Amino acid sequence: MIDIVRGAGLPLAAGIKKAIVAGSLKNFKEAKSPSEALSACRSKGALLYLQRQEFDDGIFVELKRHKGAVVLALADILNERGFRRAIALSKMRLVVEACRRVGCDFVACTLAKDESEVRNARELQAFQSMLGMNRHEQKHSDKVLEKLVK
Amino acid sequence: MKPSSRFKKRYISFSLSKEGAPPTMEEAKKIIHEHFLSFFGELGTSSLAFKLVKYDEKTGRGLLRCAREKTDEAIFCMACLKEWSGKSCRLEPVSTSGSAKRAERSKK
Repeated sequence: MIDIVRGAGLPLAAGIKKAIVAGSLKNFKEAKSPSEALSACRSKGALLYLQRQEFDDGIFVELKRHKGAVVLALADILNERGFRRAIALSKMRLVVEACRRVGCDFVACTLAKDESEVRNARELQAFQSMLGMNRHEQKHSDKVLEKLVK
Repeated sequence: MKPSSRFKKRYISFSLSKEGAPPTMEEAKKIIHEHFLSFFGELGTSSLAFKLVKYDEKTGRGLLRCAREKTDEAIFCMACLKEWSGKSCRLEPVSTSGSAKRAERSKK
């Protein structure tokens, strides 16, 4: 399994083949608003990350057309507590459902800033399962991530 | 009870560390129980059939049990533990097995 992280020089957790720094990826686009996300997803093979998951269907359609993928980060869950954590998880589940309807790809990673946020492959798999991905979608998502980070 | 009527279990071996060092048995029990309770709530924890089976305070390694259908949820809950009482804490799942003996045997 491949992981995308924010911090450089982080240790590799069990089951993670490679941890790629998001800043080193040309196609990793971090948007702060839906309008910024819409212009970012028009580049081919974009890995689009929006921190508060304020996506709309138009973004998914554009991403699908340009063969990109939505990035869902475990760090967003780790940095919240209580009800806010539940809301963040719920928004991610809605994003997965919307992507499934439109046919857009989605990938899960840690986006770890430091060592305390690094998670192993089994935990990432459990995260994908909590987002509502079935086993087939999990395998497809891993393949998409491998393809898009090359 | 007949084997067919017993609920199906999974044992998850884990490694617990608080600020890089393994906590004591009482502290570990408190951390794990309260974390699972705050994550799942009372009803969720009961449906998980959760039990802290073993813990070694020298190494920080232990074993917990959960229902087979809820393994991913239990592992996700363990992954969500980042800090405890303001100190960095990590509850890392090592391996999963249907038998406690095999889960204990697996090494990181």
